[in-house]
Amino acid sequence: MSDHSASPAHAHVHRDDTGSKLGMWFFIFTEILLFGALFIVYSVYRFKNQDAFHAAALNLDTVIGTINTVILLVSSATIAMAISALQQKNKRLAIILMIATLALAGGFLVNKYFEWGAKFHHGLYPGAEHLVSLGPGQNQFFFLYFFMTGLHAFHVIVGMGFIIFVMRQVMRDQLTFDNYTRLENAGLYWHLVDLIWIYLFPLFYLIH
Amino acid sequence: MSDSVLTAGSPGHKREPSYLEMDTGHKGIFAWILATDHKRIAQLYFYSMMVMFLVGALIGVLIRLELMAPGRTIMDAQTYNGFFTLHGIIMIFMFVIPGLPAVFGNFVMPIMIGAKDVAFPRVNLLSWYLYVAGGIIVLVSQFVGGGPPDGGWTFYAPYSVKSATNIGMAALGAFMLGFSSILTGLNFLVTIHRLRAPGMDFWKMPLFVWSLYATGWIQILATPVVGITLVLIVFERVFQLGFFDPAFGGDPILFQHLFWIYSHPAVYIMILPAMGAISEIIPTFAQRTIFGYKAIAVSSMLIAFVGYFVWGHHMYTSGMSETAKWVFSFITFLVAIPSAIKVFNWIATLYKGSINIDTPLLYAVAFIFTFMIGGFTGLIIGSVAQDIHLHDTTFVVGHFHYIVFGGVGFAFFGALHYWFPKIYGKMYNAKLANIAWGLFFFGFNVLYFPMFIAGYMGMPRRYFDYLPDFYIPNLISTMGSWFLYAGIILMIYNLVKARRSGPPAPANPWNGVTLEWQIQSPPTYENFDEIPVIKDNPYTFKKESARHE
Amino acid sequence: MFNGTSPFVDGVDNAFLFIVVISLILLVGLTFLMVYFIFRYRKERNPEASQIEGNVTLEVLWTVIPGILVLLMFWYGWKAYTPMREVPENAMVVKAVARMWAFSFEYDNGRKSDKLVVPVNKPVKVVLEAQDVLHAFYIPAFRVKQDMVPGNPQFVWFSSGKTGSYDVFCAEYCGMLHSAMITKVEVVEEADFNGWYNGETLASDEPAGLKLLKENGCISCHSTDGSALVGPSFKGLAGSQRKVTAGGKETEVTADDAYLIRAIREPSAEVAKDFPPIMQPYSLTDEQIAAITDFLKTLR
Ligand code: HEA
Ligand code: HEA
Ligand code: HEC
Ligand code: CUA
Ligand SMILES: [Cu+2]
Repeated sequence: MSDHSASPAHAHVHRDDTGSKLGMWFFIFTEILLFGALFIVYSVYRFKNQDAFHAAALNLDTVIGTINTVILLVSSATIAMAISALQQKNKRLAIILMIATLALAGGFLVNKYFEWGAKFHHGLYPGAEHLVSLGPGQNQFFFLYFFMTGLHAFHVIVGMGFIIFVMRQVMRDQLTFDNYTRLENAGLYWHLVDLIWIYLFPLFYLIH
Repeated sequence: MSDSVLTAGSPGHKREPSYLEMDTGHKGIFAWILATDHKRIAQLYFYSMMVMFLVGALIGVLIRLELMAPGRTIMDAQTYNGFFTLHGIIMIFMFVIPGLPAVFGNFVMPIMIGAKDVAFPRVNLLSWYLYVAGGIIVLVSQFVGGGPPDGGWTFYAPYSVKSATNIGMAALGAFMLGFSSILTGLNFLVTIHRLRAPGMDFWKMPLFVWSLYATGWIQILATPVVGITLVLIVFERVFQLGFFDPAFGGDPILFQHLFWIYSHPAVYIMILPAMGAISEIIPTFAQRTIFGYKAIAVSSMLIAFVGYFVWGHHMYTSGMSETAKWVFSFITFLVAIPSAIKVFNWIATLYKGSINIDTPLLYAVAFIFTFMIGGFTGLIIGSVAQDIHLHDTTFVVGHFHYIVFGGVGFAFFGALHYWFPKIYGKMYNAKLANIAWGLFFFGFNVLYFPMFIAGYMGMPRRYFDYLPDFYIPNLISTMGSWFLYAGIILMIYNLVKARRSGPPAPANPWNGVTLEWQIQSPPTYENFDEIPVIKDNPYTFKKESARHE
Repeated sequence: MFNGTSPFVDGVDNAFLFIVVISLILLVGLTFLMVYFIFRYRKERNPEASQIEGNVTLEVLWTVIPGILVLLMFWYGWKAYTPMREVPENAMVVKAVARMWAFSFEYDNGRKSDKLVVPVNKPVKVVLEAQDVLHAFYIPAFRVKQDMVPGNPQFVWFSSGKTGSYDVFCAEYCGMLHSAMITKVEVVEEADFNGWYNGETLASDEPAGLKLLKENGCISCHSTDGSALVGPSFKGLAGSQRKVTAGGKETEVTADDAYLIRAIREPSAEVAKDFPPIMQPYSLTDEQIAAITDFLKTLR
């Protein structure tokens, strides 16, 4: 590869805080539509197989679901607080709050792991004989369950990566109290992850 | 700001070193594939897109040869099925959707609004990489696994789930291409919102910029839907899930809804920038302000908006509800009105102009003509009764080639001839260019018009073989394609020669008034020495503005 | 044949003509204007352009007039369409089943056929079912088309005013031999139809097994002359040694009766080498299968 140092090719990269936040918002619109399509699929199949969806939803563990909801809500709060901490020039607190957010996100994933594990254990995974025997409606429910929560978990991981990335920049003072848009964007993204879960949770766990 | 890196300009010209010559700190090919300059990225797109276009076109040639006569002509059925699928995927996802925005949007849009670059130059480069990656995945899918994907660019379930061919990989490639398109749209939206030169409010933006703005919204709001739908297909194939397979309670019609929720707005992603380019060409060559500036600008937004609610017109025979059919048909007719507004305004712009009949104008005229035929046949199939008869026949194939190739294609090549002197600082041979245009236009109509006749007689599309009743229209059609090829080959020859050894072009060969004509050809890396301040509407032709430098 | 009669032909063709005529007038008029302007106002004849920015009256006119035109177009199209969904009460019902790459038709009395035979001037409702993927049932001469969706039966109806033989196409891509998925609708006199429907009048000297192969569309994938189509040829199949993949392992089996029966009822159990696993299971009666296997044994 070639030498990157002092490349004037980046000369056009200039700073525009409003612009980059606007970009993040547009990106969030596309993410919402991405999940929006899945919500359409979900509603159509739910409408067609009301009883089966009802029965299948009983297999989900509302307790783990609720815990995870709380975890994500709290993490949304911690990342928001990290932003204001940085604005108030409190770098240390900002970093602690970001680490807390990451820890909560990790906790979410661990819970998810156990939850999925339990489903596999009970033969409630696509292709399992037990699930196939439950008929098309329940199959659809679990296909969607795995796909949508899986896609959401993927977003959690991406969000964590984003937070780690900005945290390193905060540590190196590349992001500071008067230059924190990237942290704000990470926060926005994280709220999106939270928001999507707020919709997933009732759809899969609560509506019986 | 970067004078230390400028190399000496070519001797004999007073002009500054252009973006083509400037030193980016990378050597050889890296100066291109690591470039973040919008003008260089535009060229990256241009060359990769032309390669894909030629591959797609070559396949189009082979498809036509196969259809020249009934029965097996040059290939077997499975090869044919793979060919029209690849042809459709390449042409739609790799040529006309990125098409004008990625090439000319990237090149001239920032200049037109008086900016030095797009809002996120590195994201711009990333979207090119995604484009290339998607393209490579689609091409590789031809050679590995279960063999070339078939089933068409529409990926209809459950066939796309059951077929043993490599459809999953092609869908993945299309997903990447969609992602690339989203990033381009997002980038342009932010650019247009944030980087306009002082004084340029929305009503002073050139119409090409307006059209990119409308396109950007469709790109970010419609593409994710097809993206996730294609991912569902991939998962369904790999993990044996049954999202759309009736055997698992899935609903194939739901797939079609999700697919067309994107893919109908996508046709406006293709046509809007094309219309934008035409709205630039016509005033420049008529040497007068555009007629009905606001009407044209607003109609772009209207098309983008109404275009969201007509997707069902691809599904009249799929078995959706009767109410849905009439609602979709009704709105389909409404979406014709903003297109009508544009056509009328373009023609009115020619009235009392002082018209230079140059190659770009010829392309613009051809565009309006073929677009009208494409649009009118669109109305025919937008009407439920006729579409029941014509759906999935070659009539539809005729419609969309007229509007996609005749519309977007002519606009693309028109824009190429229009901005070529600006992009390369070289002039092409106008006479050859006009001959190529003539062959192109003649061949085009001979190639695609017979498809309407065969279609009305009932010839289904995606047919490797057909009954002898359809022989004559197919034969004529194939012969027409030869003129078209001759035209395109001549055009490419002419442009390649001009790029290599054409005479230098002046800064403003057409006497245009939008900003890109006020700077040197080819532009410098920074576009402007000084960011201009805008006072007038973009199409103000004054006598003094005739020669700027 | 493209020109048939059905209750929809006139409606569809007239609505089509309506749009075509309006479009032609506009197309010719606008093209003429465009070309005329270009020559009338070219540089040499009109060196100075007039800077006309627009005209609100015109804008309104060319929004409203096309608006009215398209509403008329919509109306005619919709009027021509509605009868397609209103099946007369006295319609005769025939079931059409599509699978890769053949149609088969079933009548109320259990009669099966690979062609759609119907009496003239009699409304016919065709109930459409698909077994594997999407297909579409398309009779150009009658201007009817409907997708055939697995698990979601659809219908079309028509009645033909003329006797004759008309093409039926599959209009939705359904795999390799999509373009060969063609059959005929034979419109015959009432008396001829009744003879065909009730009797063995058309009974030929074809062996029962071959007839079953045709009715079920087997021969669109399997030849009887040794050439490989999508599936292996039936010629010389019975009794031969077959290389197959069963449960992920390659083995060799003898194509005895038991194997052939499995191959028809459960094709995915043993998949013949070098062929894709695309054959659908068939639920035929024991006698029918016996007739098929007997016939296969005659193909040496
Ligand atoms: C650039 C792409 C593009 C554009 C702009 C359009 C524009 C339109 N399209 Fe087209 N269409 C496609 C690309 C496009 N289409 C493709 C690719 C397919 C096939 C997909 C597949 O199955 O593979 C398709 C298929 C398609 C179908 C489905 C056919 C079928 O499968 O059965 C229909 C049906 O309604 C349709 C209708 C229309 C209409 C009404 C317009 C209108 O927007 C047109 C409006 C324009 C005009 C009307 C002309 C200009 C107006 C005047 C000169 C004024 C006077 C006119 C009036 C009286 C109003 N199109
Ligand atoms: C922008 C879009 C676009 C363009 C430009 C084209 C261009 C062409 N298409 Fe297009 N076509 C589609 C989009 C497009 N197509 C789509 C979306 C489908 C539907 C697919 C589906 O059903 O899923 C389709 C389907 C389709 C069919 C129907 C297949 C079927 O249903 O069975 C046919 C048949 O004639 C056809 C023919 C052609 C031909 C002859 C060209 C030609 O006009 C091509 C013109 C090209 C040239 C004139 C270039 C000549 C240059 C050379 C030959 C140079 C040689 C190469 C090198 C030196 C490297 N196309
Ligand atoms: C969609 C195309 C298709 C249709 C229709 C079809 N088959 Fe097949 N058939 C195949 C393919 C492909 C194979 C090879 C793969 C396999 O064994 O599953 C096959 C395999 C077979 C075999 C085993 C052959 C061998 O070489 O071992 C028999 C017997 C058979 N089919 C009988 C029938 C009969 C009887 C019918 C109709 C009632 C029929 N097929 C309809 C595609 C088809
Ligand atoms: Cu069946 Cu195409
Ligand atoms: Cu459409």
